[in-house]
Amino acid sequence: MDFLLSYLALASIYVMLGLSTNLLVGIVGIFSVSQAAVFGVGAYIVGHFLMAAAPMPFLAALAIAMLCCITLNILVTLPSLRVSGDYFVVTSFGIQLLATAVFTNWTAGTGGASGMPGIPPPDLFGYQLQSTWQLMALCMAGMLLACLCFWLVMRAPFGRLLRAIREDERAVAAAGKSVLRAKVSAAALAGAFAGLAGGIYATFLSFIDPSSFDLDASILLLTMVVVGGARTLAGSIAGPFLLLALPQILTLLDIPTTFAATARQLIYGLLLIAFMLFRPQGLLGERL
Amino acid sequence: MTAYLQAEGLDHHFGGLHALQDCTFDIEPGRITCLVGPNGAGKTTIFNAITGFLRPDEGHVTFRGRSLDGLRPQAIVHAGIARSFQNLRLFTELTALDNVMVALPRQFAEEPLGAIFRPLHAARSQRPRRDDAMQALHHVGLADRARDTVRNLSYGEQKLLTVARLLATGAELLLLDEPASGLSAGALDAVMALLRRLQSEGKTLLVVEHNTRVVQQIADEVLFLHQGHLIARGPPAQIIADPALAEIYFGGAL
Repeated sequence: MDFLLSYLALASIYVMLGLSTNLLVGIVGIFSVSQAAVFGVGAYIVGHFLMAAAPMPFLAALAIAMLCCITLNILVTLPSLRVSGDYFVVTSFGIQLLATAVFTNWTAGTGGASGMPGIPPPDLFGYQLQSTWQLMALCMAGMLLACLCFWLVMRAPFGRLLRAIREDERAVAAAGKSVLRAKVSAAALAGAFAGLAGGIYATFLSFIDPSSFDLDASILLLTMVVVGGARTLAGSIAGPFLLLALPQILTLLDIPTTFAATARQLIYGLLLIAFMLFRPQGLLGERL
Repeated sequence: MTAYLQAEGLDHHFGGLHALQDCTFDIEPGRITCLVGPNGAGKTTIFNAITGFLRPDEGHVTFRGRSLDGLRPQAIVHAGIARSFQNLRLFTELTALDNVMVALPRQFAEEPLGAIFRPLHAARSQRPRRDDAMQALHHVGLADRARDTVRNLSYGEQKLLTVARLLATGAELLLLDEPASGLSAGALDAVMALLRRLQSEGKTLLVVEHNTRVVQQIADEVLFLHQGHLIARGPPAQIIADPALAEIYFGGAL
């Protein structure tokens, strides 16, 4: 039972990240490969404040983490205004590597490669969440909140503006709209989703280390968006739930655990190629 | 008295190409002015310089006595000047209606906070704006295609849609880059009638056009541009009848 609950909780967290990635990559067309880094910053900040000598309430720590991630995500996406398309992928790649280096080597702040153990479970207004059920409910609530925000934003004039920007920035400027402001707003929202996911992730696992926030994780996020489907809410939900089910299915098969990890990467890679070739719009998305 | 739109001494180089050379002209309100000249004369470059897409090396543009120098394109739209593009630049995956709605000024929830925290107000405030957009579509004769994606519109309909998008901005001076090129005879008449109607409703138009028949029929005044410099201006009949200008325009083929 716990097995299923933690699957649902993890998938919910990855839906928030999927929304973050989808907003930037799918909807605005900023090809970020560093969303896991922002996710990591959110997780470390919440871990830090909950383990401080005078622990902060969970929601306060989460709010700080989200504000930091909003700022950070705006800063890391700003280069996309200067360097376009392919060049931004390289820039974003560099940002991800830089973040991993900091997570791994800043031992005082992050615990370095051995990670940050013993993060306490979250509290809500003084009430400690303890059981896996309660934690799962928190993850689900975070996911529903993020989905609601995404849905509201995309049906508002802001969503239409973002779609227009992805097609033709010059035409948007000629229509009297600030492309810069819209992109910064989208980056802020994507940062808020990633910070929310990071904070909940840290308290849910109670242990975080750099391997959850590295380039592989960023690529996993992209794979989720591609397989689930770019640019739609349904796609951002389907991708994480499907791809996170895969390792669980592999553990049911009678194969050595060392091989299972390799097999998972292998299948992710194959899925990415196959979807790009045969179904670029993903399962429930629109064509990229 | 200051001119309605005044371009003064515009000068610009693209590498070794001297695209605009001390280009000076003005436009009077309420008229249709056609900008003509051979390919590479700098017509589109002038559009870009007026609308903030290009910062000229030298020169100034003023609109109703206000300097436009250094303003971003969106600020120039707010000042009252909107432009279309030769290659249309429509949002092809959006519907005709959404293409127009993007251009409506001052919409609520054009940023995420309003959309998230006041969703009902966001939805409610869109209804009258949708009517505004429908009116712009109706104006160009595309009301029945509002729900179609741009991809499914004919080329002529797409050109009309670019005009609807300009109208939605509320701008009073419209810069149209070849609104009649590539159109069938029927569509051509529809566009010319539309431009005349816009003029009668108080819009001022600056139009880049190659088709001399169109120029003759719609222009109140013609500005003749050659090698980035204004070399003649006058009523269309006079410009078209000038053999020296025809020589430049047709490269001596006549």
